[in-house]
Amino acid sequence: MTSTIDSVRDDGTGVPVTASIVGKSPRELAWNRFRKDKFALFAVGVIAFYIFVALFAPIICSALGISPTRLDGQALNDYGLPDGPFGNISTSHLLGVEPGTGRDILARLLYGARVSLMVGFIATFLTTTIGVVLGVVAGYKRGKIDAVIGRMTDLTLAFPSFLLIIALTRPFTQRLESIGVPEGNPARLTYIVLVLSLFGWVYVARVVRGQTLSLREREFVEAARSCGAGNSHIIFKELLPNLWAPVIVIVSLSLPGYVSTEATLSFLGLGMIAPAASWGVMLGDSVKYYRADPTYLFIPGIALIVLVLAFNIVGDAVRDALDPKGDRQNLL
Amino acid sequence: MKKKSIFGAIGLGLVASVIAASCGGSSSSSSSGGAPKKGGTVHILSMGEQIAHLDPQRNYTGTDLAFAASTMQRTLTSYKYAEGDAGSEVTADLATDTGTVSNEGKTWAFTLGDGGTFEDGSAITCADVAYGVSRTFATDIITDGPTYAISYLDVADYPGPYKATADQQAAFDKAVNCVDKTITFNLKVPVADFNYTTTLTSFSPVPKALDTGEKYDMKPVSSGPYKIESYEIGKSLVLVRNDKWDQASDPIRHAYADSIVYEFGLDPSVIDERMIKDAGDDQFAVSESIQPENLPTIFDDEAFKSRRVDYYDPFVSYTNLSVKNLSCLDVRKALYLALDRDALRKAGGGPYTGDYADGFIKPALALDYAKSKMLDGLNSDGTANVEAAQAAMDAAKASCPDVAKHAADGLVYYYPDTPVWAKAIAIWIESEAKVGITIKGSPVEASKYWPTVMNPDTNYDIVRGGWAPDWANASTVIPELFATSGGFNLTRNADDPDYAAFDAAVTAAKADLDRASQGKKWQALNQYVVDRLWALPGTFLKSQSIWGSKVGNTYQWGPYGSFNFGELSINS
Repeated sequence: MTSTIDSVRDDGTGVPVTASIVGKSPRELAWNRFRKDKFALFAVGVIAFYIFVALFAPIICSALGISPTRLDGQALNDYGLPDGPFGNISTSHLLGVEPGTGRDILARLLYGARVSLMVGFIATFLTTTIGVVLGVVAGYKRGKIDAVIGRMTDLTLAFPSFLLIIALTRPFTQRLESIGVPEGNPARLTYIVLVLSLFGWVYVARVVRGQTLSLREREFVEAARSCGAGNSHIIFKELLPNLWAPVIVIVSLSLPGYVSTEATLSFLGLGMIAPAASWGVMLGDSVKYYRADPTYLFIPGIALIVLVLAFNIVGDAVRDALDPKGDRQNLL
Repeated sequence: MKKKSIFGAIGLGLVASVIAASCGGSSSSSSSGGAPKKGGTVHILSMGEQIAHLDPQRNYTGTDLAFAASTMQRTLTSYKYAEGDAGSEVTADLATDTGTVSNEGKTWAFTLGDGGTFEDGSAITCADVAYGVSRTFATDIITDGPTYAISYLDVADYPGPYKATADQQAAFDKAVNCVDKTITFNLKVPVADFNYTTTLTSFSPVPKALDTGEKYDMKPVSSGPYKIESYEIGKSLVLVRNDKWDQASDPIRHAYADSIVYEFGLDPSVIDERMIKDAGDDQFAVSESIQPENLPTIFDDEAFKSRRVDYYDPFVSYTNLSVKNLSCLDVRKALYLALDRDALRKAGGGPYTGDYADGFIKPALALDYAKSKMLDGLNSDGTANVEAAQAAMDAAKASCPDVAKHAADGLVYYYPDTPVWAKAIAIWIESEAKVGITIKGSPVEASKYWPTVMNPDTNYDIVRGGWAPDWANASTVIPELFATSGGFNLTRNADDPDYAAFDAAVTAAKADLDRASQGKKWQALNQYVVDRLWALPGTFLKSQSIWGSKVGNTYQWGPYGSFNFGELSINS
């Protein structure tokens, strides 16, 4: 057998098989590392499950014969509390019923997931878009533009954002309604998404600006520039592809933050308006019943914790995968 | 006229005070044996940020009236300091008796007793009482108070003592006339029970020299056994003994505790938790409310038997319909028949909420109450009668298609933005949807609820209501709630074809001085409104209170539906 450049294996058929040693792209390397993190893969599965049930909430509910708004007085005792142990968990109400009204908790949880995830994803999309654009422009153009964007960032960070969000809810929602956003929940959700984006972009912008500053001095950018590439080519073809790693990490870590914030606002009575369901509204209501019906408190609480935890695990895993230096022992 | 809680923990409910309430209620509220002892500090745990008004002429909330009258503001007459029905009898306070009436009910005279003093030691004179009454007329500064002085006293165009010219003041002094220790009220209409009106703190004395106008609300001068040591909104109000008060001069008050501390701004669930735990100073505390979710904990456990009470308070809850927008009886019938009142009652704590009301006058007003004939098809167990409601809706589509269409398109329901009301509105939406009526909930910040719905520009279809009579006469109920001149008419019924007849009958009933015959007239008018459904009767409400294990004299004072705060004592 003569030597070849490629290594040769015998696969048992007698026919030589050749396989090239191929260089892997950084993306493939990262993916391989991520794939080995079974914990993270499980978390991805959890997130996919949440998205699935949120998307198909109406179908799931009608298949189970439950509804987030239907009252069920039969499931309550005379005092309006669930008529059975553990919040009256039964075959007709798999997670029990809401005290006072007898509405199905599972159905409300599913519809609440839609709100939480929608707010989380839209707010993340907006903050990322704004943050990346401003961050790249600031880092690439430097000079005056950088100074202006830098001060805007500082200013935004200086605001006591959460207090402002709470204080401005009612006036701004009314303002949105007066300029044509449908009244009620659409206006409230629009407000929540807008304010979260307004205060959230700075974190993305700061990281992106820092990365851009170091990237723009690298040889490949120099090379592109010396070949006569324009700004847009450099930004879109040279810089952005190298910025995805940090951006993905920030995104996966900020999304659960937005989900929690929406829940917090609803908890404080500034989120969804009745009879719409939201995890924060459920949590806020259930806290009152911790003595009479503790199950009711645990269910939305656990749902929220699991989702936020899953996003955080995935975020961590993505960071580890993209940055092999931060090697850490996996538990699984 | 505001009440702190109706239907669980709602921020406020408009409502006045008074009337014999405890029809049957529970009986576990008497203090533990032996005469009450002097000394100690009573704590009052409150979710409110402050007392709505401490200025005697502006105070109009049941609980606050009971608090101020029993501690700091003596009045000409008072309700008896006794539990239940006995507490709704009128008795002398500053005056030596319960008044002398003459001139066919148009002249009332009271003679002041000896020894009454303000906290600075000066004697309470007839002029001080007259000055106090005159403040009610300064409606730009003295807001929110009862206005009976204005509608009863025989004086026109009097702007109150701050702005009155000498002539105007002289005209007032003629209507409220002082001779020595005798104060005479000249009324423009006969009022058979004016000595009940004078139990309101708006007939309390105010020393002219110490009147600070708007600021008087924060530090009124005391004429009772306690005076203000400190008052911080959102934090606390501390009362200590008024050493100028003389027990011998006061026929009703005992003032057992050395001081009373009102703790403000507490979370309702924290109040319940502290009262249930009964530890430390909370053993000396009382609370006027219990959240629905904690009722089973407290009422199913015999350990709480000696420090809880469940009783009928003076309040009735109901739902106002805008008769202007819903000018079709069939639609109003459909709304009422389709409503799942059973679910609403359960959401408020089931039997602890109260009983289904058959009108707007509570049975405790024995002379004025008669069982009303309710709408045909209305289920007595409170559940919805969907078939009857659908039939009414179908009839409406033929008789008044415009209003029926409006109901199908969406009726705007203004509700206070609280978790309890979020559930109530969900129940409304769900039950009315079954007959094709759409309810659009419009949440209003709880503290702005009444100003919002009482604004004539607010275009609602449905708003909530809650009311209690100011004294034991339905003249403080039916006209207030349904006459266009009433202070709390949210039904917008002026254009209803039946309104003119109603208004004439109200005027006739008010003028009837024969109390029994007047009662019959109120009964008929109550039925008149129930038949026309300008408002939907809700619940004859009950209240629950809890107190610490070392507090005595915790009876519920019928007229106000609250503790008699000034009489609370501490058991060692």
